[in-house]
This record gives sequence, structure tokens and C-alpha cells, in this order.
Amino acid sequence: MTRTRSTCAAALAALATLVPFASHADWKPTKPVEFIVHTGPGGGNDLLARAVVTMLEQEKLVPVRMQVINKPGGGGAVAAAAVADRKDDPNTVGFITSVWLAGPLTAKEQKITVFDLKPIAQLLREPAVFAVRADSPYKTLKDFVEAAKAHPGQLKQSGGSITSRDNIVREQLEHATGAKWAYVSFPGGGERLAALLGGHVDIMVIEPQEAGENVRAGKLRVLAQVSETRLPKWADIPTLKEAGYDIHPTPQIRGVVGPPEMPAEAVKYWIETFDKLHRSASWKKYVEQNELEDAFVSGDAFRKSMEQTSKELREQFVKAGIKVTR
Amino acid sequence: MDILTGLMHGFQVATTPLSLGMCMLGVVLGTVIGVLPGLGPPATIAMLLPLTMKLDPTGAMIMLAGIYYGAKYGGSTTSILLNVPGESSSVVTCIDGYQMARKGRAGPALGMAAIASFIAGTFGVVALMLVAPALAQVSLAFSSPEYFALMVMGLAMVVLLAGDSLVKALLSMLVGLWISGIGSDLFTATSRFTFGSVQLLGGIEFILVAIGVFAVGEVLANIEPQDPPKMLPVPKGIRNLLPTWDDMKRCRFAFVNGSVVGFIIGVLPGAGATIASFISYGIEKAVSRHPEEFGKGAIEGVAAPEGSNNAETGGALVPLLTLGIPGSGTTAILLAALTLWGFKPGPLFIHDQPQLFWGLVASMYIGNVVLLILNLPLVALFAQLLRVPAYVLQPLILGVSIVGVYAADASMFQLGLLALFGLVGYAMRKLDFPTAPLVLGLVLGDPMERALRQSLMMSQGHLSILLRPIPATLLVFAALLLAVPLFRKVNAIRVQVLEREEA
Amino acid sequence: MKPLARGGDFWSGLVLAALGAWIVSEAHAWDYMTDEGPGPGFFPMWYGSLMVALSLVLVARTALKPPTREAQAAMNWKEIARALTCWVAFVACVGLMNVLGFAVSFALLTWFIVAYMARRPHREAAAIAIAGSAVFYGIFSYLLDLSLPAGYLF
Repeated sequence: MTRTRSTCAAALAALATLVPFASHADWKPTKPVEFIVHTGPGGGNDLLARAVVTMLEQEKLVPVRMQVINKPGGGGAVAAAAVADRKDDPNTVGFITSVWLAGPLTAKEQKITVFDLKPIAQLLREPAVFAVRADSPYKTLKDFVEAAKAHPGQLKQSGGSITSRDNIVREQLEHATGAKWAYVSFPGGGERLAALLGGHVDIMVIEPQEAGENVRAGKLRVLAQVSETRLPKWADIPTLKEAGYDIHPTPQIRGVVGPPEMPAEAVKYWIETFDKLHRSASWKKYVEQNELEDAFVSGDAFRKSMEQTSKELREQFVKAGIKVTR
Repeated sequence: MDILTGLMHGFQVATTPLSLGMCMLGVVLGTVIGVLPGLGPPATIAMLLPLTMKLDPTGAMIMLAGIYYGAKYGGSTTSILLNVPGESSSVVTCIDGYQMARKGRAGPALGMAAIASFIAGTFGVVALMLVAPALAQVSLAFSSPEYFALMVMGLAMVVLLAGDSLVKALLSMLVGLWISGIGSDLFTATSRFTFGSVQLLGGIEFILVAIGVFAVGEVLANIEPQDPPKMLPVPKGIRNLLPTWDDMKRCRFAFVNGSVVGFIIGVLPGAGATIASFISYGIEKAVSRHPEEFGKGAIEGVAAPEGSNNAETGGALVPLLTLGIPGSGTTAILLAALTLWGFKPGPLFIHDQPQLFWGLVASMYIGNVVLLILNLPLVALFAQLLRVPAYVLQPLILGVSIVGVYAADASMFQLGLLALFGLVGYAMRKLDFPTAPLVLGLVLGDPMERALRQSLMMSQGHLSILLRPIPATLLVFAALLLAVPLFRKVNAIRVQVLEREEA
Repeated sequence: MKPLARGGDFWSGLVLAALGAWIVSEAHAWDYMTDEGPGPGFFPMWYGSLMVALSLVLVARTALKPPTREAQAAMNWKEIARALTCWVAFVACVGLMNVLGFAVSFALLTWFIVAYMARRPHREAAAIAIAGSAVFYGIFSYLLDLSLPAGYLF
């Protein structure tokens, strides 16, 4: 009797040791994976997703085929809805940018927001710089602000939509200094730069990579960086804080999310995969080439930071007089 | 490096077997993509980017550029044969091209499209080569006030597209303006006319409306009679397959018009090939000795827009390669490609990478020749499509429309919109409302509104900003264009009065 | 295809006037002018008003010159019915794509057009429908790897 009991016990014990393995069976995708982006082919988000696909393949981090699916429209609203539609599909990942946070604040039509989706990880921060023409009289950001104070509303900044980072930084700077200058929206980066180079506007907030060549050719001058610490390639340009303006601009981020009911093991898999990606050599090269900032934050911490950013954006919009609908 | 040396060096680079191979691949792929509605250079180039990373940059750039201008050649094919624009910029070609096909002149239309594309495309490359840096600087003087005036001039062209009823043409245009404004306002983030739908927040794609109104609308109109004759008469004999010498003579000005207008508008970032083709079409009609033929199958109405959308390619490369500023969707991706390879397009690009620039320029010469040689015999092949009975062509057009729209944006909502605009197109034909002004209004409406608001923001509300030399000239020109029908009417009344007096 | 006689202008004029009026009423809710320049209501107000004005001109013109007898007789309702039936078939095809998938829906539409609209023999209709659908599917989905609406069947 006792022998049977002890065999049973041994058998049970053996089984018990297997249980943890069963519940921690590492999930891997077995079907093709789809990356959903909110721009058309060639847009910023689309290019990032394609670059990520290439890097994941190079580093052999994902065992299946990856495809980029374009769902443009509504400033991210259509893509957000598309990701939400996938309910619990572990093979769908949405690529987000700060537009996904700003959009729902002003568009009542948008029913699904990024907070309905499962956060996976933040990947990048996009820095920016204040640039003026090389032949303009402003040698520092202070010069510009002083000039704006002296001629309120006469100086002009070109930038994207009124809800974009370009304008939010401007609003914050205006509030901090009491200066006022006009903001002219252009839908495309090329037009904004052309407006500045052609002398139709006086200043713009531009990504360092876009400004680089024109600075090197002596057409643009960079006054300050919009980031917390100095970027390696722009080591002699002061940050906003160093230039004397204690402003914390809402960061412009890029990250990945999953459908609302993505299973926990899948979320874990993706967090780990993107973590490995951001440590890889090809990622570092990509970040360096494109003058971005690697800023990996995953899971709940990512969600909290997005909530914080959304709150700040809302405050800024209200202060700027933008109609907020949420 | 001066131009001649640069060019010789460029030909050396462009005639290596690898470069030639890449060029062929690019232009053939481009032609195919151009023919197929819904698939365009931006999507294709974006999809090929990872592959091109593994190739030599010069060769890859030659191929991608080949896709870009090759598509402009192919875009006219479905426009002429099926009234389905293969490319956004081929919309204008539908107007006279399809009418020519209906009259049995599909061959000459297709042939002229290829020839005009070749002439203007080559002009674009020559201009790119000669004046790129200088022109880039000049183009920077063009900003919102100038764009606004350009758009107003474009809209004034509606007068020329009017046909019989100016009132109906204007109404058509106004509806186009309205559709253009649907979506989220750039300056205030206000949603306009979105009917609460998230799908409309980004606006309605112009190509969807064009395919719906032109292609689907045409099928519905065509299917009315129980026994239609062949939908399109088949051209008889080789002579009818290509443009005649007469045709070529008639199009002399159109070649110049298309080349110059297309190139200049291409240089301006923000104004695209579609606008260029509308404007060159308008100019062609304005200076023609038989303007009443336009809209009914005038061959210049094919030559001018087809030429200008090819010259635009050369123009669009100017700001890209000399300032690092992308002027259109495709050039934005080319910029991304160059960046991925580690190049930095900007003012110093030509200086730093002469072999890439000159190699590219030389390959574009070669590419244009290849495309001409490729496309002319294809005319005979495509013309065979016309032998197909109407009841096969009708579902074919509907199918191509569906695939085209779905490929651009995979959603049932978009297909629903396509069906809606198909009905609108049919209704417009039935009620004798011209369809071209609708498309014109749609293309120009939003950019024009943006340009005006940007201008007023720049000038703090003073309209005087529009009185700078360039905008002022264009606005005066637009006013003259609008005054033409008024003048004609007044003159007609005057003649009537005189006749009555004499009687 | 014959365009409708003047009578059509009367109704289209009214419809467009209604559209214009609606546009103007929507535009009222937005800012006409802000201190940074014209607001989102500016343009719609203008083209909406112009639309109302011009469509009323159209209506007035027709009211003053009513269509003649022959012109009205030229309106061929049978033909219009054919076109609208075809349109309904198109809508049905698109509607079914989610359920039946592109290939099947498109085959059905083709068959409808060939068999009913053109009154061709059923065998020919079926052949063209299947061949056409296969060619489309083959070129677009297979060769070019474009996504086509997918349902439970192809």
C-alpha cells in the first residue's frame, strides 16, 4: 500500500514540476505577422515599420513572415480601429506615433483610442531643433524671442498641423516668455523647409536629420535643441533649458501596441523581441543614421507615460484655444 | 564638374550592364504599374526599398527613378481605352483620350501619349541637367501667395472646360470644391462634413472620385441601350494605329506647352503632376484654333497633359537633388531611400555625389528612349483590347475600378464610396453636367484654401500679400480667362444687334 | 445615351440648391474669421452660397422655358432602368465581397452583366464570368500580391 502511495506521490511530484513549464511555454508566432501603420506607403510610419521588418529579419528575431499593412486616414483613427478589430490576434502589431495621442483629443469621430489597445513598448523619441536661415539676424533663440516680443505677431514659424509638436513647443515658449509670433501650417515637411529657405517664414522646428545638409551647406543656422540632453551630432547647440527656457515639450514618440485582448504570452513575446531589437547593432545604426533617440519603455510604464503625455497635450490644446472634444 | 564632363561621366556609369539592366527593369515595372489603376510608384517603391538596400545605390536609384517616370507613360493606357485613370496625373488624359478611342482613334491617342511623354520627359531631363541649382533657388521665391494665384488660375480654367453651360460647369466645380474640403481642417483641427464617420476624417481620395465618376459612370451610361454597338470602334489598318503627320503638326505647341508647364510646376514643391496636366490642358485649349474640339477627341488634349506629367518628373527631382526637399509623394520616398543608403540630399549633394547625380541623369535619357521604343508597338497590342465585346469590357472596367480603389485603401467603406460616385457620374452624364470641372475642383479646392489661409497668416490678414509680382500676374491672367466668355457673349450680342440693324 | 431634356435641370437645380443651403448651415457652426486669418467656415460659406445662387439660376431658367413635348418624350425610362439595375448589381457585388470574397462576387457580377444586361446565352455568360474572375484573381492577388476583399470563399 505504502509503495503505491509513494509511487503516486512521486508521479504527482514529477507532474507538478512539469506544470510551471506548461504555463510558461514561450509563445512564438506561427502565422504571418502584420504591422499596421497609419500612413500610406512612403509615409514616416510606413518607412519605420518596413525598416523594423528588415532589421528583425536581419537579426533573425522573428521566425515568420512580416507584412506592413497601410491603414491611412483620420490621423491614426482608421489604423487604431483596424488594430482594435483584431481583438485577440497575437500576430497583429500597430505602430504608433504621438499623433495617436493627439488625434482623439480633437476628433469626436474617433471611437477607438490608443488607450483601448494593449501597450507593448515605446521605441524611439524624435528630437527636433529650432532653425533659422543662416542670413537672419538671430544668433541665439533669445534673439528671436526678443525680436518677437518687440514685434508681436509679426514673426512667423512654419510647421505642421496645429496639434503637432511644432506648435505645442511654440505655445509653451510663448507662454513662458510673453512673446507672440504667428504659426503657418503646411502639410508637408518639404513645403515647410521651402518656406523657411525662401524667406517667407522666420523660424521652424525641424528634425535634425532634415536640417543637417542645409546647415552643412551654410543655408540654415540651428539655435537650440528640443530635447532633454544634447544630441551627439549637435554637441555645441544648447538645449531649450540651457538656452534659458525651462520648458518640457511633450516628447514625440514612436512605439508599438497590440490589439485590446492580445494574450499575455504574446505581449511578453513582443516586448522581449523589441527589447532584443533595440539592443542590436542594426538598430543602433538605424537610430544613428536617422538622428533619433533610442527610448525603450515597455508595458505598463509605457502606458503611464502615454497617459501623462495625453494629459499634457490636452492642457496645451486648451491653453492654445484648440477645440478639445474629449 | 562642368556639365559636359559630368554628362560623359554619367553615361559611362549609366551604360554599364548593371545600370542598363536596372534601368530596363525599372521602366518596364513602371509601365506596368502605370497601366494598373490603384497601384502607383509610391507604393511600389516603398515595397521595393528593403530589396534595394542590398544593391548598389546608383543602380537602385536608376531603377526607382525608372519606375517613377515609367509609370507616367503607362498611366495613359487605361485612361484612353477604358476611361479609368491609371495614375492620378492621367485623369486629364481621360477627357480627350477616351473620346478619341470612341471615335476609333485609340491607336493615335496611345501613340501620341507615348510620343508626347518622350519629348517632354527628355526635355525634363535636359532642364534638370542644365538649370537645376539655379532654378531651385528661384523656386524658393514661390510660396503660398504664388500657389494661391496658381490655383485660382487653374480654377479659372473651368471656363475653358465648360462646354455648353457655364452655370452647370461652375456648379460641378463647386461640388468638387466641397468634396475637397471634407475631413479634418489642417489649421484648426475642426472636422468638416465628416458625417461623424471616422473614415471621412482624412478626406476622400481624389483618385477614388475620378475612377467612380469617369469609369463606373461611363459603364452605367454605356449599358443603357439594349444592344450597344461595340463599345469602342476598332481602328482599321496600320495607318490608324499611330498618329499621322497631321496629328504631329497639330501638336507642335502641345509638346512645348506640356514640357515647359510640367517641368516648372514639377519644380514647385507641393504642386503636383495632376495640377500640371490640368493647367497645360487648359493652356492648350485656350490657344487652340479649334477649342470646341476639346472634350470631344482633340489629339492635343492628349499630348499636352501627357507631356506635362512626364516633364513634371524631371522637375520634381530638382528640389529633391538640390535642396533635399521632396515635392511629391514619390520624391519623398526617394528621399527616404537616399537617406537609408547614407546619402544626404541637400545643396551639396550634386557636388558630393557626382557619379550618382550624373549617372541618374544619363540613365533618364536612356530610359525615355527605351520607353518610347517599348510603348509604340504596345499600342497595337492594347488596341486589340477594343475587339472585345462591350459586355466583356463593362465588367472588366468595373473589376479594375474595384481592384484599383481597394489596392489604394483596403476598406469596404471606400468601395461603397466608389459605388456612390459611380452613380453620381451617371447622374451627371444624364443631366448634362460636365464631369471635368468636378475633378478640377476636387484637385484644387483644398490646396487653394490652404494657400490662401497660409498667405493671410504670413501677412497678418493683409490681402496685399497677393499683389506681389507673381501672384498679381497670375490673378490678372485668371481674371482675363474668366472674362473671355463674358466678352464672347457681349460680342455675340453686339453682332446680333448689328445684323438686325442691317436688315 | 441621351441626356435628359431641360426638365432634368429643374430637379438637379433644386437638389444642388438644397446641398448648398446645407453646406452654408454647417459652415455657420465654424469660425468664419479668426485673428489668424479665415477660419474653417470661410470657404464653405462662399462656395455654399455660390452653389445656392447658381442652382437657383438653373431652376429659374428651366421654369421660364419649360421643356417641349418632344424633349420630354425623349426621356427613355427603360434605358435608365437598365443603368440603375446595373448599378444595384454593382452595389450588391461590393456588398457581398465581405461574405463571398472578391472572386466569387465579381464572377456573379460579370455573369449578371453578360446574361441579363446583354442577353447572351447562359453558357457564354458563365464561361466569361469564371474566366474573368480567374484572370483578375490570378493577376492581382497571385502575381502582384495585392490584397483583394476576402470572405468565406475566395
